[in-house]
Amino acid sequence: MRGLSRRDLLKYGGGAAALGLALKSGLDPRMALAADDIVIGGSLPMTGVFAFAGIAGHQGLNDFVEWKNANGGVAGRQLRYVMEDTGYKVDVSVAAFKKITAAHKPPFYFGDSTGFEKAIASELVQMGTTVMSGASFASELADPGRYPYHFIAGPSYAEQVGILLQYIKNEASGGSAPKLALVYSDTEFGRDPIASAKARAKALGIELVDEIVTKPGSVDVSAEVLKLRRSRPDYVIFHGYVLSPINEFIVQMKQMGLKTKFMGTYYTMDKLLIDQVGEPSDGFMGVMPYNYYDSDASGANFDAMRAWTKQHAPDVTYRPVPYVASWFTGMLFAEIARRVIEGGQEMTARNMKAALESIENWDTGGIIGLPISMKTHSVPVGRIYQVRFSEKRYVPASDWIALT
Amino acid sequence: MRIGDAKTSYIADEMIFDTPVRRAWFAALIVAILVFPLIGNDYTIYLACLVAINVISATGLNILTGFTGQISLGQAAFMGIGGYTVAVFASRWGVPFILTLPLAGLVSAAFGVLVGLPSLRVKGLYLAIATLAASVIAHFVFAHWDPVTGGIGGLQVPPAELFGLVLGDDRSMYWLIMGVAVIACMGARNLFRTRVGRAFIAIRDRDISAEVLGIDLLRWKLYAFALSSFYAGVAGGLFAYFFRVVTPESFPLTMSIFFLAAIIVGGMGSILGGILGAIFMTLVPEALRFVTTMVTPFYPQAPVVLSPMREVVFGLLIVLFLIFEPHGLAEMWRRLRRFFHLWPFRT
Repeated sequence: MRGLSRRDLLKYGGGAAALGLALKSGLDPRMALAADDIVIGGSLPMTGVFAFAGIAGHQGLNDFVEWKNANGGVAGRQLRYVMEDTGYKVDVSVAAFKKITAAHKPPFYFGDSTGFEKAIASELVQMGTTVMSGASFASELADPGRYPYHFIAGPSYAEQVGILLQYIKNEASGGSAPKLALVYSDTEFGRDPIASAKARAKALGIELVDEIVTKPGSVDVSAEVLKLRRSRPDYVIFHGYVLSPINEFIVQMKQMGLKTKFMGTYYTMDKLLIDQVGEPSDGFMGVMPYNYYDSDASGANFDAMRAWTKQHAPDVTYRPVPYVASWFTGMLFAEIARRVIEGGQEMTARNMKAALESIENWDTGGIIGLPISMKTHSVPVGRIYQVRFSEKRYVPASDWIALT
Repeated sequence: MRIGDAKTSYIADEMIFDTPVRRAWFAALIVAILVFPLIGNDYTIYLACLVAINVISATGLNILTGFTGQISLGQAAFMGIGGYTVAVFASRWGVPFILTLPLAGLVSAAFGVLVGLPSLRVKGLYLAIATLAASVIAHFVFAHWDPVTGGIGGLQVPPAELFGLVLGDDRSMYWLIMGVAVIACMGARNLFRTRVGRAFIAIRDRDISAEVLGIDLLRWKLYAFALSSFYAGVAGGLFAYFFRVVTPESFPLTMSIFFLAAIIVGGMGSILGGILGAIFMTLVPEALRFVTTMVTPFYPQAPVVLSPMREVVFGLLIVLFLIFEPHGLAEMWRRLRRFFHLWPFRT
């Protein structure tokens, strides 16, 4: 490379100065904001492997905040949503948290992963100013003892599998013990509900005939399919995947003429499965804590959500599940804030936790089909849905199930 | 204009800070490090800690790859071993960080020696795959040795503590992390003034010639692996204290690639290169995020539209570096210094 001229120096110097200015402005962001805004911070994966959920989740939270503000806000105060993209990396999520917390002091925060929420847990306790929910349904985050300022806006993974097992038990009542196989990914996400699933299956009299662990996203599952062919389960529950290798299992096992029923959990239960698997996805079942955007459900909040989309994005005919989940998370944030403010209290984490735990028999306005309680920091409620391929959508296969 | 430095002894020639200007700059750096916590906010302190942890690990990898020529894709695994060592000893027996951190380095170094054994037989890509395999094995152990590692859920780490002094937040952790980073970088810089460092460089430049000169390849290669792993282990230990949790997913393969990219962008075979590379790889994505943040108030869809672009820009920056400055940021810095030394003449 040729030597450095003064022109080069100006270029480098100018670039460095511009970067410095950008950094400076970023370190101390000042926007025209009301002092009493209730801030919802967010670390969302707009890029990376979970971008599909991050983008939809961001849209859901953003739309909820805009809708809420358009309808008077919370106890006369406006909500404000501040987010950063994380690429689904824990260190980046933490950086975003620090940055947003330093600048905006948010009482509420939406996290993007189990890793991040665990990494920030001790700091949340130390701060005592913020409560957190997010995209993770990890069972341990629903433990108020260890994670006092976390909550899950839905059933934890263990509870989701519990709901599936309850459904299996109900279906088989009176007959012989149903045979179950668990297929899960070799990740923290995949292994999360397995121990509790085994214990619950045993308690419900469900026979666990097979247990298969795969790499997430693996495609060659021929050996595992043969294993399942030998054990002939009535039900296979998949957990810890978004799509692959579920599609491979379904296609290959259907080709073998097996009558096994396939089931999934929250992150599997979206349109991606129907679109990617096609006809063989017909009959695929799973647990969903919320009503689908294109379901026949109705209710004040659910209708408002769809009306808002119709008004602001008329071309959009479907919203993915993370959109509904984030909207609902926003609802919970707003409800906590309302209870604290109307109780004349400070917005401290302790008070917000008490407000969260005071939510009992709360009507979600059509988002969830049963009134909910937040005493355990999760919502152990869900419904079994099934793919109806002719309509390219999920339809209810059971009534709402609440775990006790 | 300065036209040279007259050296009248070997000792003077070997000095790290051989001119008053260099000494002044280093003093300024130390002052900046000391003053920074007083003026930084939580976010900038956090970033400084993260950069320092990455600097330690990148410097370790630079010792192995940049100076000794042994390519490694196992740096994240070595960090993981350090992280878990700290987590186990601190959470189970309350051992203070003054002991757990060196222990993390030593355990990691022992594993590094094992991983380094194939280096006597294989080089280049083959060695990279061998270290990759070690990385996979380490990950498997983290995930499945439940009684020790806590399995897939990992371990919670208590705050770093010494004689009742608890380093419970980033601001107090800053002193520990930055202190270790300065010592680690100075140690590495000094290493290459010794016969050990020169042996490493000889192995990198031509291992057969090095052996002819009497350098025991097995011994010195394993030494390089051990030293590099030691650095990674200490960085991993600090990582554990900093994030207060370790899981198998805390140390993914992409982390190893991150450090490899850092030393390439910064400059292989240069301590400054490792430092600058770690700073670049950590801070540039953050800087690019500011663009999205600043645009969002005017364009609410910015997070959706610009976030993927940011990844492209970051990748492009790395590619442009490799094309236009293969010797990395350290070489740019050296050229900048030469420019000022020789001004008004061309470099």
